[in-house]
Amino acid sequence: MQLLLFKSKCIHVFLFSFIGAHTLGKRMTSLMSPALCHNVQRNACVMPYVPFHVEPRNIVGDDPQERVSAEAAILNSRVHYYSRLTASSDRLLSPPNHVIPRQEEIYIYSPLGTAFKVTGSDPSSKNPSIITIFAIWNTMMGTSILSIPWGIKQAGFTLGILILIFTGLLMLYCCYIVLKSPKAINMDTSDWEFPDVCSFYFGKFGKWSSLFFSMVSLIGAMVVYWVLMSNFLYNTGQFIYNYAHNVNGSDSEFGTNGSVICPYPTTEPGGNSTISTLYISGNDTSDGSSFEHWWSKTNTIPLYLIVLLLPLLCFRSAAFFARFTFLGTISVVYLIVLVTIKAVHLGFHLEFHWFDTARLYVPEFRLLFPQFTGVLTLAFFIHNCIVTLMKNNKHQENNVRDLSVAYLLVGLTYLYVGVLIFAAFPSPPLSKDCIEPNFLDNFPTSDVLVFVARAFLLFQMITVYPLLGYLVRVQMMGQIFGNHYPSFLHVLVLNILIVGAGVLMAKFYPNIGSIIRFSGATCGLALVFVFPALIHMISLRRQGLLRWPSAIFHSFLILLGMANLLAQFFM
Amino acid sequence: MSSTAMKKKVLLMGKSGSGKTSMRSIIFANYIARDTRRLGATSKNTLKERFDVEHSHVRFLGNLVLNLWDCGGQDTFMENYFTSQRDNIFRNVEVLIYVFDVESRELEKDMHYYQSCLEAILQNSPDAKVFCLVHKMDLVQEDQRDLIFKEREEDLKRLSRPLACTCFRTSIWDETLYKAWSSIVYQLIPNVQQLETNLRNFAQIIEADEVLLFERATFLVISHYQCKEQRDAHRFEKISNIIKQFKLSCSKLAASFQSMEVRNSNFAAFIDVFTSNTYVMVIMSDPSIPSAATLINIRNARKHFEKLERVDGPKHSLHMRMR
Repeated sequence: MQLLLFKSKCIHVFLFSFIGAHTLGKRMTSLMSPALCHNVQRNACVMPYVPFHVEPRNIVGDDPQERVSAEAAILNSRVHYYSRLTASSDRLLSPPNHVIPRQEEIYIYSPLGTAFKVTGSDPSSKNPSIITIFAIWNTMMGTSILSIPWGIKQAGFTLGILILIFTGLLMLYCCYIVLKSPKAINMDTSDWEFPDVCSFYFGKFGKWSSLFFSMVSLIGAMVVYWVLMSNFLYNTGQFIYNYAHNVNGSDSEFGTNGSVICPYPTTEPGGNSTISTLYISGNDTSDGSSFEHWWSKTNTIPLYLIVLLLPLLCFRSAAFFARFTFLGTISVVYLIVLVTIKAVHLGFHLEFHWFDTARLYVPEFRLLFPQFTGVLTLAFFIHNCIVTLMKNNKHQENNVRDLSVAYLLVGLTYLYVGVLIFAAFPSPPLSKDCIEPNFLDNFPTSDVLVFVARAFLLFQMITVYPLLGYLVRVQMMGQIFGNHYPSFLHVLVLNILIVGAGVLMAKFYPNIGSIIRFSGATCGLALVFVFPALIHMISLRRQGLLRWPSAIFHSFLILLGMANLLAQFFM
Repeated sequence: MSSTAMKKKVLLMGKSGSGKTSMRSIIFANYIARDTRRLGATSKNTLKERFDVEHSHVRFLGNLVLNLWDCGGQDTFMENYFTSQRDNIFRNVEVLIYVFDVESRELEKDMHYYQSCLEAILQNSPDAKVFCLVHKMDLVQEDQRDLIFKEREEDLKRLSRPLACTCFRTSIWDETLYKAWSSIVYQLIPNVQQLETNLRNFAQIIEADEVLLFERATFLVISHYQCKEQRDAHRFEKISNIIKQFKLSCSKLAASFQSMEVRNSNFAAFIDVFTSNTYVMVIMSDPSIPSAATLINIRNARKHFEKLERVDGPKHSLHMRMR
C-alpha cells in the first residue's frame, strides 16, 4: 500500500526522483535526460501544461528552439528503462548504432541545466593498439613459461635459442594466415572464429575436428594445471609446516647449500662422496612422520584438490572467475622479477660444448630438440581465439604489426626466462641436466621468494581452472547436446572425467614437460599447421592466385606439423 | 463454472534468436540474466540454435499465463519433441503470438515451423487468436520497411488460412512494439468498446483532461480519452516505462505498487488500481479540485467498471479478485 505524494514546483523533479538517483551515475554518456528545472521562482516555471518538455531557457545557449526532439525524448526513456532490465555488462538491450542519433546531434544535459556536446570516440569498445598487444601477450602467457628452461636444456643452449626464434616466427606466420582467413569468405563473418572458418571449408569434418583439437589443448592445459596445483600446494604446505615446526628443510636435499637443488639426480655422483647417498626429497621419505604420509605430492594432494575444485567446476556460470584474469599477469611479472633476482644471486655458469656431452653440461645441439618444439607449439598457441582478440582493435590496418609486436614480446619474455635460468643454473656442483620441466622445482621448499611465487601461482590456477572447465563444457556440451547445461548429471560426468584425468596424471606421470609437448604438438598439428595452411591454399586457389612457391611452402608447413607430432613419440 | 480458473495460455513462439526473450522482458518488466556470453577472448560461443523452453509465471489480463517457446534448431530433436508434447503445448491457448526475425535467411524453414504451429492450434485450440510480429524492423532501411512488411504480411495471411492472423511490424527501438502489443491487448478485452464509452462518460463527468486505462501487468494502454489535443504522441509509452521501472525498484524491497498521486501547480495526476485487470490514470488540469474529490470519484467509478467486467466476459471473471 504505497500512496506517494509529491509536492513539487516542477514536473521534472518528479521525473528525476522517480527514476532514482542511482540511474544518474550510469548512462551519463547516453542521450539527453530532461534537465531539471531548478528555478525556484514560481513565475519562471509557469508554463502551459506540457509534460516531458525541456525549457529552452534552461539550456546553455540562446536558441529559442527546443533542443530535445520528441524522438530523442522517447528514445531516452527507452534506454533508461531497458538498462534496468539487464546486467550492466550485458549488451543485449543496448541501443545499436543505427538507432542512436549522429554524433553532431548528441548533447549531454546535466540536471542543473548546463549542456555540452559529445566529443570523441565511438562508444563501442575499440581498443588502442597497446591494449590489443597486451591482451594477446596476456592470453598467450601460460604455464608453459615454467618449462622453457627445461626445453632449452633438452634442445641444447644454442639450438634452443635458435629453435625458439624460428618456431616463434613460424607460428607468427600461421597466426597471420589464421587472422586473414575469414576475410576471404564472402559471407558476413563478423562474429566468426577460426573453428567456424574450418567448418565453412571442410563441413562437418572441419567442425568436429577443430572442436576435438581445441579440446585437446584445453584438456591438456587442465591436466597440467592439476599437476602443477598439486605441486604448488604440496610445497606451500611443506613450507608452512617447516616454518611452523622450525624444521630446517634443506638438510635432506641435494644441492648447493640449499639454494638450488636437483630433485631427481641421475647417476652422476660428481665429486663429493657424501652426496652419493642421494634420495628424492619430499615424497616418500619413510621416516615415519605422519605429515609426510598425509601430505604427499603424488598420493594424497591430488585428491584433496578434488574436494576444492570439483564443486567449482559444476557452477553454471564462470563469469565470477573471469574477474581474476589479472592475476595471471601479476604472476608472470613476479616470475620475471624472481628469475632476475636468482640470476643476479647465482651468477652465470655457461660453458659451450658443441656436440659432446660434458660431465655437467649438455651439448649445444642435441637430438632431443623436438621436445622443445612441442613445448613451444603450446607456448605460442593462440590461434583459436586470435580473430576475436583482434576484432576490437581500433586501427584494423595495424593488425599485422600489432600481432608481430605481441609475438615479439612473448618470445622475448620466454627467451629471457629460459636463458637466465639455464645460464644461472649452478653447474659446478650440479649438472645442467637437472633442470626440471617446472623450473620452480629446482628451488627448495624453504626458499621464501619461490614460496611466494608458488603460492601466487597456486591461487591463480585455482581461479583459472574453473574457467577452463567452463570453456570445455560450453564447447563440448554445446556441440553435442545443443545446450550448455543439459543437466547436472551430464556436467558432473564431464567434470569427473576431466578431474580424473588430472588426478591420474598427477599420481603416475607428473612430468609437465611431456604433457605440454604432447598436447601442444597434437593441437598444433591441426589448428596451427594443417588447417590454416590448407585453408590458405584453398582460398588462394579459388581466387586463382595460387603459385607454385606458395603451394610448396604451405605443404612444407603441413609436413612440419606432422613431423613435429611424430617426433614427440620417437624422441 | 468451476471456481478455479482454467489457465488459458498466451504462447509466444518463434525461432531461437528472434527476440522473444527481449520482447517479453521489455513488455513484462522482467530482468534478463545472461550468463553464457562474453568470457573474454578465450572462446567463442557459436551456439545460435538451441532448443529452449521457458515457462513464465507472468499473469496477463488476469488469468492468462504467458508461455515462451523457441522453435528451431536441430530438426529431428525438434520434430520429436513437437509431436509428443504437442497437445500439451497447444491445448487451452487463448492467443498465439509468433515472432519472425525480419533478417532471417531461412524463410522456408520459418514458414514451415509457423505452419506446424498453426496446424497444432487448429487441432487443439481452434478459437485461439493468432498474431504475427515481424520483428527487428530497425535493421531494415527506412525506405524499404513498408514494402518488406507488406510482402511478409501477404505471405503470412495466405499461409494462415483458414485461421485469420493479424500482422504487426515491430522493433524494440521504436514505438511499434508498444503499439503492437497494445493492439493485441485491445483485441483480447472482450467488451472493450463498452469500456471506452463508459470511460469517456467518466472523464466528462469528473472534468478530467485525460483518462487512461492500463493493463495491470504490462501497463499497455487499453483505451484512453482526451478532451483536447496533446503534444506528445509518445506519452503512453513513456508513462509505461516509468511505472515499470518504478515497479522494478519496488520489487527489490518486496513491495508492490498500488497507487500514486503527482501534483504541481498546473495539474494533478492520479494512478490507481481500477478493476481486476486494469489501472487507471486520471489527469486533472484544474489544481483547485481537491484530491479527495477525485479519489472518491475514482472509487465510485471502480465499482461501476467492475460490474461491467463481471457481467460480460465469463472467461475473465472466473479468477478471484486480486486484492
